Amino acid sequence: MNNHDLKKLLLKVEKPTRYMGGELNSIVKNDAEYKFALCFPDVYEIGMSHLGSRILYNILNKREDTLCERVFTPWSDMENLLRENNLPLFSLESKRPLCDFDIIGFSLLYELSYTNVLTMLDLSGIPFYANERTENYPLIICGGPCTCNPEPIAPFMDAVVIGDGEEVTPRIMDVYAECKKKGLRKHDMLLEMANIEGIYIPCFYEAEYKDNRFVALNRISDRVPERPMRSVVKDLEHAEYVGKLLVPYMSIVHDRIALEAFRGCTRGCRFCQAGFIYRPVRERSVDTLLKYADELVDCTGYDEISLFSLSTGDYSEIHTLVKNIVDRYSKQNVSIALPSLRIDSSLKDDLEKIQSVRKAGLTLAPEAGTQRLRDVINKGVTEDDLIRSVRDAFESGWTSVKLYFMLGLPTETDEDLLGIVDLAKKVVAEYYSVPKDVRGKGLRVTVSVSTFVPKPFTPFQWEPQLALDEIRGRQKLLRDAFKGLRSIDFQYHDSETSLLEASFARGDRRLADVIVRAYKLGAKLDSWDEFFKFDVYRQAFAEDGLSMEMYASRNRNVEEKLPWDHIDMLVTKEYLMKEREKALMEITTKDCRKGCNGCFGNKYADYCKVY
Amino acid sequence: MRIIARFTKSDAVRFVSHLDIQRLIHRAFRRAGLPIAFSKGFNPHPLTSFASALSVGVTSDAEWFDVHIAENIEPCEFAVKLNAVLPEGFRIEQAFKASDDKYSLTAFMEAGEYRIDVSADEADITRIQGCVSTLLDGPIIVQKKTKSGIKDVDIRPGVLKCNVDVIDDTHAVLNVTTSLTVSGSVNPDLFLGALSKAWCKNADYSIHRTCIYSKDGLYMPLYQQ
Repeated sequence: MNNHDLKKLLLKVEKPTRYMGGELNSIVKNDAEYKFALCFPDVYEIGMSHLGSRILYNILNKREDTLCERVFTPWSDMENLLRENNLPLFSLESKRPLCDFDIIGFSLLYELSYTNVLTMLDLSGIPFYANERTENYPLIICGGPCTCNPEPIAPFMDAVVIGDGEEVTPRIMDVYAECKKKGLRKHDMLLEMANIEGIYIPCFYEAEYKDNRFVALNRISDRVPERPMRSVVKDLEHAEYVGKLLVPYMSIVHDRIALEAFRGCTRGCRFCQAGFIYRPVRERSVDTLLKYADELVDCTGYDEISLFSLSTGDYSEIHTLVKNIVDRYSKQNVSIALPSLRIDSSLKDDLEKIQSVRKAGLTLAPEAGTQRLRDVINKGVTEDDLIRSVRDAFESGWTSVKLYFMLGLPTETDEDLLGIVDLAKKVVAEYYSVPKDVRGKGLRVTVSVSTFVPKPFTPFQWEPQLALDEIRGRQKLLRDAFKGLRSIDFQYHDSETSLLEASFARGDRRLADVIVRAYKLGAKLDSWDEFFKFDVYRQAFAEDGLSMEMYASRNRNVEEKLPWDHIDMLVTKEYLMKEREKALMEITTKDCRKGCNGCFGNKYADYCKVY
Repeated sequence: MRIIARFTKSDAVRFVSHLDIQRLIHRAFRRAGLPIAFSKGFNPHPLTSFASALSVGVTSDAEWFDVHIAENIEPCEFAVKLNAVLPEGFRIEQAFKASDDKYSLTAFMEAGEYRIDVSADEADITRIQGCVSTLLDGPIIVQKKTKSGIKDVDIRPGVLKCNVDVIDDTHAVLNVTTSLTVSGSVNPDLFLGALSKAWCKNADYSIHRTCIYSKDGLYMPLYQQ
């Protein structure tokens, strides 16, 4: 797209810097042998907050033979302008049309962004289904946590990356380059790619259904693996990181330096997909993290560093790291944020250090209201842990606490729900028990309750999600119980998006047609309340003879074949079954830092040497 | 000590908003390793103030800010260090030491001068001269959003100077000076809105701020009628 056209468009849109490019540290290469479009199926400020994309941007642009440019989903104003003016969707760096790239890679972080993938292809004149794309079209691939059940989007994709992207992505480029040099056709290239660890090529597998149910996924070529395996970066310490981090002009959701302290989590909370699909725990050393912090503060000028991981308090040298960062940067007024803290981490000293630079709210996630239910989900924290943590925080002058819970967990009763209210009240009482001259002024306890979505590769992958009416009933129970309580702000979200998320999360290949149907009926930007159209999805499922409830609210038998069974995520199905049984018996499983629980079965020796 | 600086905002970054520019200057301070003074309190922020917000889409040769510095530094070094790290499209053109008193750039602003490139059909360009003269002859009533709702306001007194140069069949340049003070300003967008109504609805405008004038001529150029 030329500058003149672009300027005309930018004058008419709400947030022009979403499409402008030219940010500090963006990489603009004139040309390269292979052109990779790094696509994020949501708007700029969401996509730019995704750490994995920043890592891949660095890795791909480091290659001399490759240029990598960013493309995001346009907001509806820009989408309409592009359509009205017959202009194609373009990359931010060189304003190149998406269809002019060799490889298009989508990061799939959220099921409700699937229609945005279609929007981006549609605006580029690229057919949705892989089998409708001839040799001249770009190779379309995807990765990210959603690909642990790739089936609902499998028919759109030439190749799917399962697991960590740092090592697979360069392999893909190598194989792509080799095949291009040999002049191989797409089909043969995909056969080559199928044997890269961490790659799944959907077209070599065929789904079988019986009585409107998925029953099997059959491999149609013995030259591809029976069960494509997740890619694991074993040595995170030496893995590539973000390089010179891009600094957007507009403010984005995570507008700070993210230091990924470690990947994986040893806790084994049974509802948490990330806890299972990123195993084993792999840490970066304090020295490496401090080196990254130095480089990133220097090249970005950001005033905040956030420690990023699934459970930051579990980092083995958290106190050393926090102390070093605070000592090093408080002079420059660079503050540190610790998201995803677990409430059983002893952090009082660290909290005081953080406080000395900048004050932010404290977020804790008890997830369930009673000890019984916390045992079911293996959230190994007690009420005492929580109360001790908030007391520490209040005594250090913090006044804003956010508590996260889930509604609709397996075996949940009204008593468990009312336990949430009790817990919140106890937090308020704890604040008032701290002497006036010690505590800060203006207590704010935010209780945020989300709807539980059962996910693949968790012990709850067979569990039904609550039906919509039941969810709404339980939300009302909580709303009534929280009524009139001072200092407590109760938040929840409508459950329709959770139902759709649950359907896609455990869906099979037939959902690709549903996604296309919904898209054609007007679904887009589904994760944005102002655009989400539940009725459209109702209709789209029904027209294909399916329903969301078939996928979301059905109790699955453990013997039933699951659409994602063919993906080898390393954690075995037997382990998940065992965990499910223990959950129903309210028996907890120990943190695997304290000893192996055997989740990888006989692959343990190859993939989990950390502890 | 205090430094007052002027920077330019060029075409490539015309869509960066005022708030975004403040943030990017703050980040540039840190990248440049400049010893900026911070406010006290829970959320320390750099002690800077920007003279006048520029609308999104407008370029400029005259963006001013002042900043308190914790250690002595030569203004020239300040400018060089900052220019080395500023994103392309922004450039410090001028920097000088200022007294540490309460003098605020904003308080002494008087007027803003703009060059507006206009492109339109030939038939419209031949009429522009006349239309502008007519417009300037009477009151210029525009609708302005205020706290108490939308109001009709006469912006004519705030349009201090305006002349038109026809460049070719389809292009003209307007040189407009409007008031820019603490008590009241006329955004050139408002004037162009009125002009569009009176003259031609589908012209394209490209606005560039050329100068901010002050009452006293101390730091910014003196405004002369």
